[in-house]
Amino acid sequence: MNITHKFILTLIVFFLASCSSVSMDRTNDATAISATATGAYSDTGITSNNILYFAYDKSDINSEGRTKIRTLAKLINDNNLSVRIEGHCDERGTREYNLALGEKRAKTVAELLIINGVASDKIDTVSYGEEKPASPGSNERSWSQNRRALVKTF
Amino acid sequence: MPKNIILICLVLFITNIHSQLRIEIKGGAEDPISIGIVPLEWNLDSPQDIYLHQIIKSDLESFGEFKVLPPENMLSFPSKKEEVFFKDWRMLGVDYLVIGRVNVADFPGEIIASYTIFDIVREKSIHRGSVIGPVQTLRKIGHKISDKIYSRVQGIPGIFSTKIAYIDKPSKGDPNYNLRITDIDGYDSLSIFSSPQPLMSPSWSPDRQNIAYVSFEEGTSRIFLQQLNSAQRQGVKLEEGINSSPNWSPNGDKISAVLSKSGNPDIFIYDLKRNTWKQITKHFGIDTEPDWSPSSKTILFTSNRSGSPQIYEVNVRSNKIKRLTFEGTYNARGRYLPDGKGIVFVHRKNGVFHIATQNLKTGKIRILTDTFLDESPTVSPNGNVVIYATKDGDRDTLAGITIDGKTKFVMSSIKGEAREPAWSPLID
Repeated sequence: MNITHKFILTLIVFFLASCSSVSMDRTNDATAISATATGAYSDTGITSNNILYFAYDKSDINSEGRTKIRTLAKLINDNNLSVRIEGHCDERGTREYNLALGEKRAKTVAELLIINGVASDKIDTVSYGEEKPASPGSNERSWSQNRRALVKTF
Repeated sequence: MPKNIILICLVLFITNIHSQLRIEIKGGAEDPISIGIVPLEWNLDSPQDIYLHQIIKSDLESFGEFKVLPPENMLSFPSKKEEVFFKDWRMLGVDYLVIGRVNVADFPGEIIASYTIFDIVREKSIHRGSVIGPVQTLRKIGHKISDKIYSRVQGIPGIFSTKIAYIDKPSKGDPNYNLRITDIDGYDSLSIFSSPQPLMSPSWSPDRQNIAYVSFEEGTSRIFLQQLNSAQRQGVKLEEGINSSPNWSPNGDKISAVLSKSGNPDIFIYDLKRNTWKQITKHFGIDTEPDWSPSSKTILFTSNRSGSPQIYEVNVRSNKIKRLTFEGTYNARGRYLPDGKGIVFVHRKNGVFHIATQNLKTGKIRILTDTFLDESPTVSPNGNVVIYATKDGDRDTLAGITIDGKTKFVMSSIKGEAREPAWSPLID
């Protein structure tokens, strides 16, 4: 674009901007409509034996946790049970990142159950990220209880 | 109406309106633009004249950019151009003036608000407009007038008719999670979906007709699309593992999202016409939180591929990846600014999570907020304001800040436990 063109364009823009304008608007009365889901899934049947805790932003399991998992694996195989493992996080960090971290925790537990002889087709994993805290506070005591994986047998 | 009754109404409305947004102007704010909004001449039977004035006043003062002259300081109450004495308004220090009237419209039950905006310094009208709508949409009529005043004076679109979607977690009064939509002043909050299981990550379609979000109602995360006018909802094709973080493409035909069917979370694109998923990133670490660029060419995402969460950009066509953030060990949940020249995201400093912006050309970071556990920033469609989730004690709440960091506000009218705000596009 040469300088004359630019100048004319600037003039036009300036003219349009300095003019009075006229508008005609209409409000829309359309309101959003609500829907509801049913199908609750509860947190029952959890004891200290089927809950594993994690360090902040970590998904590895300590020796105490490994012992718990060995006991759980035996229980699952002896009674021919299926399991659902839920991974959870504390509230620090972003929600979607925590959803990913919760999955990593659940999968770590699943892998250790498989190593201890549980068939992989008996295991289901799900991450709830930071969406279902066990304790609601914003302090380390609550956070340490929320960084967890639950092994639910059925 | 006798004068003392008007005064009582005025006091009541001022108290009412002031509870909407609690504004705190931080140091360094420039002189706000002074504007006179003459209470519109009310040619209807119902006594609601001051209410409309209060809605416009509350809108314009929301972000500290305007100061509205109190009607009791006005020397006259013109409703026609001939009655405007520019000298009087100049004397009162007013830069702009709005006058007008409200009449019964042709269609039954509807009213028409006609208004004129004057530039006092140049002594001329800069806009004449009218808004028609059902009488019960008076708040919306006020927001539309505010939008026009804002855009004529500031030169960028007003955002007072836009909406915020957010998630409300169970509280004492309600055992359910709710996906809610509210006006940006916190009024007219409405639950559009409720569930006993978690809801996450609302994202508006560009035409503002649909919202995509994540629901755990089936026992696992799944992306749903819900039409706002019909409540019709539909689950997106479910894959093994995480199905989450939906984000609509600018032209509305695709959704970027996160799936972990490959063994770990990666960024995928869902084609809404073909019902197919296409993988965009592939790494053994965590890739999540996609956000489509305004130009559609790239997608912003969070990845821990370097060892800590950082923000990256992937080219949708070539799948080429570029790292954008380098400062600190936690940068996540990025959102492009509407001009595409910067991003807003969550930045951790000394263990505290803040909202920050980064200029994509210079790479310069600017921390906007100083509270604890700030997250989920969402940008107004005119690029001027960021609303984010924060804590008020142990309660989840929403707050906002102008992009220049000068005006902070708390959305105190939102009750319950609010999180994950998502700002709607401009279109009504």
